[in-house]
Amino acid sequence: MIAVPIAVLWFGGFVLAVLDGTRKPAAWLSVAVLTSAILSTMALGITVYQDGPMSLAVGGWSLGVGITLRVDMLSIVFALLSQGVLLAALIYEVVNGVGARIYPAVVLFMGLGLTGLVFTGDAFNFYVFFEISMISAYVLVSYGESPRQFRAAFVFITVNLLGSVFFLIGISAIYHTTGFLDMYRIRDQMPLVQENPAILSATIIFVAFSIKLGLFPFHFWLPAVYTGTRPSVAAILSGALANIGTYGLIRFGADIFPRELRQAAPVLIALGTASIIYGAIQALSRHATNEVLAYSAIGQVGYILIALGIGGPAGYAAAVLYTVLNSTNKALLFLSGSLRGWLAGAAFAIGAFSVAGVPPASGFLGKMALFQVGIAEDRPMLVALIFLGGALSFVYMFQLYRRRTAEIEAHGSSPWGAQVVVVMLALVILGIGVWPDPLLNLVERAALSLPEAQVP
Amino acid sequence: MPALNPQKHAGMLQSGARIILLPSWVIAIAIMLKGYADVGDGFSAGVIAALGVLLQGLAFGTDELEQITLSRIAPILSFVGLGLALLTAFVPILFGENLFTHWPGINEHAVHFGVLEFITPVVFDIGVFLIVYGFCVGGLHAIAREEVRQVRLRDRGRYLRSTTRGGSLADESGEVRL
Repeated sequence: MIAVPIAVLWFGGFVLAVLDGTRKPAAWLSVAVLTSAILSTMALGITVYQDGPMSLAVGGWSLGVGITLRVDMLSIVFALLSQGVLLAALIYEVVNGVGARIYPAVVLFMGLGLTGLVFTGDAFNFYVFFEISMISAYVLVSYGESPRQFRAAFVFITVNLLGSVFFLIGISAIYHTTGFLDMYRIRDQMPLVQENPAILSATIIFVAFSIKLGLFPFHFWLPAVYTGTRPSVAAILSGALANIGTYGLIRFGADIFPRELRQAAPVLIALGTASIIYGAIQALSRHATNEVLAYSAIGQVGYILIALGIGGPAGYAAAVLYTVLNSTNKALLFLSGSLRGWLAGAAFAIGAFSVAGVPPASGFLGKMALFQVGIAEDRPMLVALIFLGGALSFVYMFQLYRRRTAEIEAHGSSPWGAQVVVVMLALVILGIGVWPDPLLNLVERAALSLPEAQVP
Repeated sequence: MPALNPQKHAGMLQSGARIILLPSWVIAIAIMLKGYADVGDGFSAGVIAALGVLLQGLAFGTDELEQITLSRIAPILSFVGLGLALLTAFVPILFGENLFTHWPGINEHAVHFGVLEFITPVVFDIGVFLIVYGFCVGGLHAIAREEVRQVRLRDRGRYLRSTTRGGSLADESGEVRL
C-alpha cells in the first residue's frame, strides 16, 4: 500500500523516458500517471488518517533491520502538496506545448523523489530520494537551452550540489554519533549524544536545508535561477522542490533534533525576521515579475522559520499550513505571471492578494495562524513583525499587479487552455480561503504526528 | 599563453588515458563484486568506470566519445539499469512478497563464487552500476557536445568574417581554445 504511489511514479517515469514527450498522447499519459499517483496517495492518506502512521520494512526484514518506509499525516500533506503543484505545472506545460521530449518523464521522476523522501523512514534513503529530485531539477532548469537558462542552471547546480554535500556530511555525522540511519532509532538515541556533536550535526543539516529553501543568508542563488527559467519550471522549483527544505527542517528539526531546535530557537527567529524584511525590501525595489516573486519567496520562508522557532503543536501546525499556502500561491503566481488575458489576470490577482494576506484568498489563513501563535505565546514583537511583513508584501504585490494590468492592455491574450489551468489553481486557493476547515484539520493532524508536539 | 603546451603534452595525456581505460573497468568491477563482503557497491563502481571513459574524451576530444561504443550506448545502459533495478524491487510484489524481497531469502543457502553470492540484490546492484555509469557518461557527453558545437559555430562565424574582410586567420586574435 505504501509503495503504490512510488511504484506508479517510478514505472511511469521509466516508460515515459522512452516516449517522445513533445507528442500529445505521451504528454497526457504523464498527466494520467501523476493523477493516479495523487489518487493512490489520497487513498493512503485516508487510511493513515483513520488508523494512524503506517510503516513497512522492505525485503521482509524485521522492523529496525531493513530500510523502512514510514508514512504519517505530515508525509501525506507534503506528498499531496508537491504532487499537486507538479500536476498543475505539468498540465500547464502540456497545454502550452511541451518543448523538450524528456520534460514529462523528468517531472514524474521529480514527483518520485519528492514522494519518496517524505515516505521514507531512513535518513540515508531520504538523501537518495532527495538526489533523485535534485537531479530532475538540474535537468528541468537547463530545459529551454538558451544561454541565459544555461547560466541559471549552472548557478543552481553548483549551489545545490554544495547543499547536498552538506546534507550528506550531516547524515554521516549522525550515523557516526548514533550508529543508526533509521530516523526513529536516531531520535531515540539522540538525547544520549553529547551536546556539541549533536549541535554540530543539527547545524550542518540546517544549513543544507536552508540552501534548498533559499533562506536569507543562503538565498543568493535563488533570484538568478527563478528569473532565468521558464514559468512552469519556476513554479515547480518554488512550489514543489522548496518543500524539501521545509519538510526537512520540520522532520529533522522537530522529529530528530528537538533539543537542538529548542536551543536554536532565538537564532531561527532572528534569521526568519531577517529573511522577511530583506525579501520584502528587495521585492519592493524590483520590477520584473519573476524577480519580485523570487524575493517574495525568500521573504515568505522567513515566516515558516519563525513558526518553527516558536514550536509546539500550534507552531508546527502554523509552519505546515504556511508551507501549503505559500507553495500553492507561488505556483499560481509563477504560472499566471507570464500569461496575458483577463482570466489569467484575475488568477494572478487572487494569487497576489493571497500573498498579501487579503481574505478570502487563502494566504490570510497562514498569517492568522502565526498571529494567533504570536499572541498565545505573548510575543508582541512577532505580532508587529507579521503586520510589517504583511504590509510590505501588500505594497509590492499591489505594485506588481498594477504594472501587470498596464502590460496586459498592450498585449493580446494567451491560449485559453493555459488560462483555464491557472484559474483552476486560483479557485483552489480561493476555496481553501472560503472553507478552510478540512485543510486546518489536516495540518493539525500533521503537526500532531511529530512526537514533540504531543508532549505539552 | 596556456601553461601547458598542448602539442607537447597531448601525447602523454592520450597514452595515459588509453592505458588507464581497461584497469579502470577492472577496478570498477572489483569494487562492485567486493561490495558483498567489504566496502564498495555498484554506485562507486559506476563512477569509476565512467571516469575511465570520460578521460578518453578529455584526452582525444568529444569526437572520440562518439567513436567508443561504451560511451555511445551510455544512455541505453542507464535505461536498462533503471529497468533492472525496478524489476528486482517490484517483481516480488507480484508474487505476493514484500517490496525488495530477495531470492534466495534470509537464512537460505545461496551459491557462492568467491566472495560473490548469487542473490537477486546483485542484479539490483548491476542496475545501479549501469544507471550511474550511463548517467555520468551520457550527461557529461551531452553537455560537452553542445559546448563544442557552439564553439565551432562561433569559430566558423569568425572565419567567415575574417575571409570577407580579406584578412587571414593567422591575424585572428581570438585564439581557439577548447
